[in-house]
Amino acid sequence: MLFQSRHPLESKIGSGSSIRAVDHLEIPRSVAIATVLSHPDETAAVVAGFAAAGDLVMRNVAPGEWLVLSHIERSDSLERRLSGLLTDIADVVDQSEGRVLLRLSGPNVRRILAKGVAIDLDPSAFAIGQSVNLRCGHIAVNFARSGENEFELVVMRSFAESLLEDLLLMGREFDLSYGFSGGLADPD
Amino acid sequence: MASLIHCPHCGIRPKEEFTVRGDASLVRPEPDASDEAWHEYVHIRANPRGRTREHWQHLYGCRRFLVVERDTVTHEVYSVTDGAAAARGGSR
Amino acid sequence: MTGYRLPNSGLVDRAATLEFRFDGKRFTGHAGDTLASALLANDQLLLARSFKYHRPRGLVTAGVSEPNALMTIGSGARTDANTRATVAELYAGLEARSQNNWPSLKHDVGALNNLLSPFLSAGFYYKTFMWPAAFWEKLYEPLIRRAAGLGRAVLESDPESYEKCWTHCDLLIVGSGPAGLSAALTAGRAGLRVVLAEQDFRLGGALLSETTTIGEQTAPAFAETVLSELGTLPNVTLMPRTTVFGWYDDNVFGAVERVQKHVAQPLAKLPVERLWRIAAKRALLATGAEERPLVFGGNDRPGVMTASAIGTYANRFGVAAGKSVAIFTNGNAGYRTAEDLARQGVGITAIIDTRADAPSRSAEALKDVRIIKGAGIIDTMGGQRLNKLVFERSGYEEVIACDAIGMSGGFNPVIHLACQRGARPVWSVELDTFVAPDVGGGLSIVGAAAGRYSLSACLADGAEKAATIAADLGFAATSYEAPAVGEEVDPSFTALWYVPGAKSKAFVDFQNDVQARDLGLALREGFGHVEHAKRYTTNGMATDQGKLSGVNAAGILAGMRGVSPAEVGITTFRPFYTPVSFGALAGTARDMHAAPKRVSPLHGWAERNGAVFVEAGLWYRSSWFPREGEKTWRQATDREVLNVRENVGLCDVSTLGKIEVFGSDAAEFLNRLYCNPMAKLPIGKARYGLMLREDGIVYDDGTVSRFGENHFFVTTTTGLAAGVLSHMEYCAQILWPELDVRFTSVTDQWAQMSIAGPKARDVVQALVEDDISNKAFPYLSAGVVTLKGGLKARLFRISFSGELAFELAVPASFGESVADAVMEAGRAHGICAYGLEALNVLRLEKGYVTHAEFDGRVTPDDAGFGRMVSAQKLDFIGKRLSTRYGLTAADRMQMVGLKPVEKDKTIRAGAHLLKEGAKPSTINDQGYVSSASFSPVLDHDIALAFLKSGRERYGERIVVWDRLKNEETVAEVCEPVFVDTQSTKLKV
Ligand SMILES: [Zn+2]
Repeated sequence: MLFQSRHPLESKIGSGSSIRAVDHLEIPRSVAIATVLSHPDETAAVVAGFAAAGDLVMRNVAPGEWLVLSHIERSDSLERRLSGLLTDIADVVDQSEGRVLLRLSGPNVRRILAKGVAIDLDPSAFAIGQSVNLRCGHIAVNFARSGENEFELVVMRSFAESLLEDLLLMGREFDLSYGFSGGLADPD
Repeated sequence: MASLIHCPHCGIRPKEEFTVRGDASLVRPEPDASDEAWHEYVHIRANPRGRTREHWQHLYGCRRFLVVERDTVTHEVYSVTDGAAAARGGSR
Repeated sequence: MTGYRLPNSGLVDRAATLEFRFDGKRFTGHAGDTLASALLANDQLLLARSFKYHRPRGLVTAGVSEPNALMTIGSGARTDANTRATVAELYAGLEARSQNNWPSLKHDVGALNNLLSPFLSAGFYYKTFMWPAAFWEKLYEPLIRRAAGLGRAVLESDPESYEKCWTHCDLLIVGSGPAGLSAALTAGRAGLRVVLAEQDFRLGGALLSETTTIGEQTAPAFAETVLSELGTLPNVTLMPRTTVFGWYDDNVFGAVERVQKHVAQPLAKLPVERLWRIAAKRALLATGAEERPLVFGGNDRPGVMTASAIGTYANRFGVAAGKSVAIFTNGNAGYRTAEDLARQGVGITAIIDTRADAPSRSAEALKDVRIIKGAGIIDTMGGQRLNKLVFERSGYEEVIACDAIGMSGGFNPVIHLACQRGARPVWSVELDTFVAPDVGGGLSIVGAAAGRYSLSACLADGAEKAATIAADLGFAATSYEAPAVGEEVDPSFTALWYVPGAKSKAFVDFQNDVQARDLGLALREGFGHVEHAKRYTTNGMATDQGKLSGVNAAGILAGMRGVSPAEVGITTFRPFYTPVSFGALAGTARDMHAAPKRVSPLHGWAERNGAVFVEAGLWYRSSWFPREGEKTWRQATDREVLNVRENVGLCDVSTLGKIEVFGSDAAEFLNRLYCNPMAKLPIGKARYGLMLREDGIVYDDGTVSRFGENHFFVTTTTGLAAGVLSHMEYCAQILWPELDVRFTSVTDQWAQMSIAGPKARDVVQALVEDDISNKAFPYLSAGVVTLKGGLKARLFRISFSGELAFELAVPASFGESVADAVMEAGRAHGICAYGLEALNVLRLEKGYVTHAEFDGRVTPDDAGFGRMVSAQKLDFIGKRLSTRYGLTAADRMQMVGLKPVEKDKTIRAGAHLLKEGAKPSTINDQGYVSSASFSPVLDHDIALAFLKSGRERYGERIVVWDRLKNEETVAEVCEPVFVDTQSTKLKV
């Protein structure tokens, strides 16, 4: 039997906006995501392990807890690789199916996000690469600055539709466009 | 409208990200402690006016239980520290 | 001069003429007008009727403290009641209506109250409408409300949109007058992130109404110069139309920005109002000062305004308040207004100065004006506009014709925000008013709000305090030095709280019709404390919250008590500074955005199978799956239940909380968390788990499965998933930080389906590579399996129906596809989808419990789980208190089953149990029904109930008494299991 995988936002997004605006919400169709839980006093070793892997994106969740993202790897191979890398110093849980990544970018991205996010988003206050768990509107998300004017939100799957609806409402003022990755060409 | 709590792990956040569990000075009695000790622990709360230490969980952030030392009259927050560290140190 | 519009002065755009309507009549104004200034320019002085006496009223102010000119603006669902005309920005097509009059503003029937006013003194309502009590709610209150109401709220849903926003800054400056602007320039140039918020639609504050010069420029031109520089600074945010209404903990300010309140047709993509939460490292209150009215006989006649309002209408809006204006003052500021008006060609009939020793003024503009010192106005005349005043000096009265009076009674700094968090205003002998105390480092008060009334002092104070703040925050700053100010206003005055000799009503609070004598009555009747007097007289309780009346009331009470106003104090300032709409407070959190909706990974599958959904917390769960011809939920549910008992069904259980638990102490941790033993759970096995609260009452139940020596998987009920996770975190972090245990929620990672019924194995085996025979995968097995095609899944042999059942968990995004395949594989076996309703009947028939039973009062023993509670374990949550007397008493209510003696009778949840023949009473109460439903298997109602000493009473007849439905059903008490009592189906 061949089972089909279906993105939780498939029916909400469909083919997305017809025109890509300068402010855009992009949803990659598949991202491998794992929770890593450090064993006591092994935090430094886990961080060193991530660094050694080189290509992994780490997102802070709590002391000794991270979400690890990979845009190229499959979920099972990420879980396997992390488990191998972090044997006896951390536990690894696949969350690729339980989390959804949304990427917001554009010149007005901070003004859009300030409608849901309470932290100071000024470039001087929240550096590229920084990540935290926080509340966006009513919904808990992992939040990261992934570029100069680009932020990524990782949300629990069951909340993804509501978060999408909220973000689109927040972005309405700037005609925020949206779609799955690879759906629309860049405006320039 | 708002007030801010400085989570030692996540930074400055509005109080809406937290839930308050209550008195952080409680210590769970030993299983064979007296009835009075258990009764006090489970049922009796001081509700002090002024400086108090409470457990606040950063529910929308790191999910850690924090010890928030604050004034119940002015809501001035004196300190916010990780609760597990305090519990381990036995300084509850 | 057309109407009352002055020929040259003001900042309105005379080229832009705007048409608007007031009470249906067409008027024109200019861009830059407020509704009030435009009405005044059109000689529309009568704007409202007062609250209690329905007296004709006109403008008193030109700003937010306006007590009288409340309008209903807009039409249809887009209607705002109680809008102050003095701050409503004029736009083309604006429609305004007056309030509190019937049938019309000019002919108001309620004005009869004015003739009755000897009976309508303070406390009148309280004293009169007391008996009988029921009359208050049914008769008096509705009548009074109809007569005294303000504008009416519309009943339609608000079509506008609103939103909320956060912003952060180093320095928030509230108010853009001279102090605010010089502070902004100082801080902005130093590089601070500055937010400058101004409630007006035009920035500049008092500078916009000033006639003096600053350097070579007029005051408004100077403001423009400063603003254009601020506009070039990227670190400065200018926020016009933004009222900072509250100061909250940790220096967070609440503000409302009126984004599109000044347009006829708001753009759909923008909110009409935006609520800001401004987290400011520091804040400066540059809110200026308010001129005090004088309390004299007839002071509410249309045409009587504060002198500064008359000045603002003339200087900023180019509108004369009258053609022959009298000034009534107790200080020097009133003379300045007179000069301004005279220079613009407005007739000044007299300046009446309460001070006998007032210094002489030699202004050229006033050389022909009659100045009467040591005098007071005691009455005014005129219908819907003032036409005469009567003043008294040394016992002689004189009548003067005039069509407007500018009253100048001194100044009150606007300190509301500073005193919203508990700080009490303090009396300043020097300034004869209340000022803010030192409220701490986060907020400083500057300029006129700090009692520094002169323009040059405001400019200097703003710059200086901003420089200090910048230095505190680590910025190098130099104070902005403003050019020299021309002629300054001399703000000195001699306080006068009440002008003696009033020949008609002398009002303190215009909106609530509170007179000076009402305060006297309050004092005589023992309500002299300023907070009591407020409630007794309603002084300061109107929409303006005493902005004009508060200090005068304190002064009058002080005078009557023979003490200083310092001793009287002033009523508490609370947020909001000015009214804030509910829409703005709600922001986007309405309709579908009011709460997030959690969607199961099997939602699409359920939709395809025709599910009807029900909200369960934030989740939308499939409730039943009606088929063609089924008209009620019962028909669908009964079929689903019977089909599960006879064949097989598939139910979405993805919403259960799921938690992975790791660590070398994971077993020990779970052993302490649950009341039943968990430490020796074998790998590959699942076990039912019962969690208690520390007081010995059941908290939640679920399953625990073991996947490895140090790896467990825990499920919780849907409803308490979040609570249980928090509880586990508390235990791990605070109670037992020494344990090596970690966990994370995987609720959303798995799509989980229960496949239940005698044919469940045939269906599941069709999809699974592994052997799941009863021998290989017996009851309570748990493990990882491979689906045909290679997908990894988790399989649990657990049942919530009493039937042979499997719970199959697959990665969430494959959920729909796998569920479709299960349905396909089950087609030959007669599979059906079943929902929450059927799930509930199935568990009830089998006597399985949910939170309907575990309702926060029930112990394990009450529910029949007494033997599960471990006596061996040294400790677990709830162990110690579960042995206390009250929880082990023999007459506790215990869970039993109920069957109606007459099979067609109904039993409903919530009904109480009584002995046959006993009268319903608390004493006679024997227990209650926790769950009930129709059993399609047994063809009659069944129920679970809690009954005193219930387990000893099987076979007894009991009355099920339902007061809500007025039903009494005689039922037989039985064991709480109705089908397959020997559990023969579960383990095959
Ligand atoms: Zn935190």
